[in-house]
Amino acid sequence: MILMETGNGMGHEPMHKIIKLKRYEKPPEGYYEDFLREFHRRQRAEMLAPSLSAMIMERLSGLIPELRVPAMAFACVAAVAMIVSVAIIRDTPRQTIPHAYSVSYAQPRPYSQAPVTIQNMQPVSLRVDADPQNQPQAAPILFPPSYLLQAPLATHESPLSF
Amino acid sequence: MSSDPAIPSSNDKELVARTQGGDPGAFDELILKYTPRLYGLVYHMTSNHEDTNDLLQDIFSKAYRSIVNFRGNSSFYTWMHSIAVNMTINFLKKRNRRQHPSLNDPDSNIENDPDFIAATSNGDPTKEVSIHELQKKLNASMQKLSHDHRIVVTMFDIQGIPHAEIAKILKISEGTVRSRLFYAHRQLQNSLHEFKRN
Repeated sequence: MILMETGNGMGHEPMHKIIKLKRYEKPPEGYYEDFLREFHRRQRAEMLAPSLSAMIMERLSGLIPELRVPAMAFACVAAVAMIVSVAIIRDTPRQTIPHAYSVSYAQPRPYSQAPVTIQNMQPVSLRVDADPQNQPQAAPILFPPSYLLQAPLATHESPLSF
Repeated sequence: MSSDPAIPSSNDKELVARTQGGDPGAFDELILKYTPRLYGLVYHMTSNHEDTNDLLQDIFSKAYRSIVNFRGNSSFYTWMHSIAVNMTINFLKKRNRRQHPSLNDPDSNIENDPDFIAATSNGDPTKEVSIHELQKKLNASMQKLSHDHRIVVTMFDIQGIPHAEIAKILKISEGTVRSRLFYAHRQLQNSLHEFKRN
């Protein structure tokens, strides 16, 4: 009997010889000639049998004339759809509050003060100390205080000189 | 194309060009030329004659539909085998566990093959193994292999396709082909342990 060697890759020749015997398994006599005939028959059947998409298209094309929808009906439907969409867009508020912010959003309370009339009006100054009762003692501050980053002093000395 | 005898090397290019030009007779010639080889490939993968027949029809049908896109970057032989391998493996994945082997009878010439004689009798009639018993054993062992292993065993051991060509068909390296063969042989060896020299 054939030795089934193990281990190194060179020991597979006997296995190769046994497996090679499967070459003798052959289809019945005349199979290959019949195969070609069968191939032709299937090809013809494929050509004659319509595909699924072709069937759907055919059904649809057959269905649409039966509906007898006037040509202008499609235009009317399109126009109505356009009008509705424009109306929806116009009704949509321009500034909507996102739902996530709606909890913390508070509606402003209406002012309770008396309506301003021309008689009650007083001159308004942009000066910060502009108080009609207290006249300024020192130099007036014309602009609100501003904050400037102090630039470091310019020096020619190396900052890390020891 | 390689000059290896396992690989048909004739006027494939011309036949392909004629088919692409609209000559169905040229494709018939290709079918007649490649059916025996591809039949072997699919049959040894499926172990079922009827499945092989249907699958082979689908393979040639797909090849016929796709041949207009064949640009000749590989040989027609490699292209055709790639289609067959991919469709066969997809088929086996779908078939899953539905296994009804329908094996062809071995050619009577097998009885004269020295490897068969050596494997089955060794001159001891009491230990003689029938052809069908050997066939059953071989088939069962082959079916235990994974698809990846079975395909390389089929192409190399049964069909005699060289490693380099198998690598091209499967789009893997030659090293991977050799490695898969090594492990497949080792697994087959365990399955066929009774066929040992005393």
